Amino acid sequence: MKRWFFAGLAVSLVVLAVYPLQGTGYGIRTMLQLFMWIALAQSWNLISGLTGYVSFGHVAFFGMGAYTTAILVTKLGWPWLAACLAGGVMAMVLALVIGWPCLRLKGPYFAIAMLGLNEVLRVIVSYYEGLTGGGSGLSMPTLHASVPIYYAMGLVALLVTALTYVIITSRFGLRLMTIREDEVAAEAMGIDTFRYKLYAFLLSAAAPGIVGGLAARDQGYIEPMSVFPLITTITMIVMVLFGGKGTIWGPVLGAVLLFTFQEIVWARFIYLHQLFFGAIIVAVVLLMPRGILGVLQQKYNLPRTI
Amino acid sequence: MFVITPAMVGQVVISGLLAGALYAMVALGLGLIFGVMRVLNVAHGTLLMLGAYTTFWLFHWFGLNPYLSLLVSMPALFLVGVVLQSLLVRRVVDAPELSSLLLMFGVGIALVNVTQLAFTSDLRSVEYLTGSFVLGPFAFSKSRVIAFAFAMAITAGAFWFLQKTRLGKALRAVSQSREVAQVCGINVQQIHMLAFGLASALAAAGGTLVAVMVAIQPEMGQVYTFKSFLVIVLGGAGNYPGALVGGLLLGLVEQLSSLFLTTQVNEAVAYILLVLVLLVRPTGLLKGRSS
Repeated sequence: MKRWFFAGLAVSLVVLAVYPLQGTGYGIRTMLQLFMWIALAQSWNLISGLTGYVSFGHVAFFGMGAYTTAILVTKLGWPWLAACLAGGVMAMVLALVIGWPCLRLKGPYFAIAMLGLNEVLRVIVSYYEGLTGGGSGLSMPTLHASVPIYYAMGLVALLVTALTYVIITSRFGLRLMTIREDEVAAEAMGIDTFRYKLYAFLLSAAAPGIVGGLAARDQGYIEPMSVFPLITTITMIVMVLFGGKGTIWGPVLGAVLLFTFQEIVWARFIYLHQLFFGAIIVAVVLLMPRGILGVLQQKYNLPRTI
Repeated sequence: MFVITPAMVGQVVISGLLAGALYAMVALGLGLIFGVMRVLNVAHGTLLMLGAYTTFWLFHWFGLNPYLSLLVSMPALFLVGVVLQSLLVRRVVDAPELSSLLLMFGVGIALVNVTQLAFTSDLRSVEYLTGSFVLGPFAFSKSRVIAFAFAMAITAGAFWFLQKTRLGKALRAVSQSREVAQVCGINVQQIHMLAFGLASALAAAGGTLVAVMVAIQPEMGQVYTFKSFLVIVLGGAGNYPGALVGGLLLGLVEQLSSLFLTTQVNEAVAYILLVLVLLVRPTGLLKGRSS
């Protein structure tokens, strides 16, 4: 079973690695977005799936990365790859600034604080027009780099998944999951819960920052409404929940399924898009809150590190 | 740089209180749901939007006085709230907060989408009460003053209900301890429905009053959800009078920041205030619950 899984994984990685040689421009852009969603879902899983702290504004890091990249590219003429990495760093700085006060809070207050963070960043970005272009956004010079961005995005998705594997199989991951199950007990056992939550939060902010930068560079134009939508956070969460939160492959599975569904079905019903999405959310929350892998884990007694 | 005169400060303080009473009323609804069920209703603003549309259409089709339409919008949304509670929210009351957050978000976007399909995304306004009251150096738009009066009256009514009636006492008992309330013979499921219904009715009242002040559209609700969260955290979540304090404070902070900085950043100022309050006094200004 395990051997087949890794063989399948190796084959899909090779296929994805050579795909740009054959793929159409549209195909490459679509796959690149899928990688983006995998990286985003996986990052959300790192903080919220493992520690149980709901980051209800995770798209703030995506937006932070997008704006950092766009500003560095347009104002300072940085190469896009360096600018995207800087976007990841800035997202981590933001996570430190907001996590340091807010991760001390227990339960729903953290969710409220994160929801607010996203709203406020959008307001601030719209206001400081000199740097960010305000409501009219920032345009970057045209760049035909879909293929390098495809590889960069794929690499980020792969690295976050690998990071999740390393964390879940480590003592660090066990500590995070202890916090999720019972924070008071975790503290009683001598775990410095605040410090570990903050580490997890910082790690979970890096990839959205980089990916935000890559997506901004790929699209060439960003504005506040396009990089800070609450719906992006929700999409990440639903992907993780659907696949199975707190697992290694759940976010990947959820991202692939939901993204495929979006591409195939929603494109035909543009006006009903949100209604469908709302219905899916309600269905996932009520019918399978443990997600696909969570259900399989329970039913077939699969290992925790799936 | 312009000079700030005492008259301007007075104008701003009074405008802040006028706006704050409305925030307090709407946030009291959110606080009720949170206090009784520990559920964060991210669709609260959507319910407010539905209230606003109720008023708009009653005015548009029948020429009904928008303030009289409170008598329709509040009971109608009360029913919507009861139905939402008994069909959906009931199932996630004891789940971790992520479930209720997502569930209500899903309900919210579905309702917004239906509203867009039914009524389009056009801006619509109730042309009822325009102009201002002028009082010495101050001027206040009539619709805001009347909204203040209604908001205060409805909030007072809600407090009276919570403090004096048996049902209100039962509701507060459930929000203090569900188990003990149940042991005392209170039907907790009914109280949950009542709380969600009342909360929706308060949101609807907010929508009605807002519809007279500004143009409405299906996505208007999100900003009120956000402000209501600010208010209940400022005032102390689970502490009902705290909503009043938090609401007035939020109104004042917004107006003062628009005087010293600019209107666009007042949300940011309010948010920084929120983070500071959470940091220094996580239970809110009046004592609420810490977790």
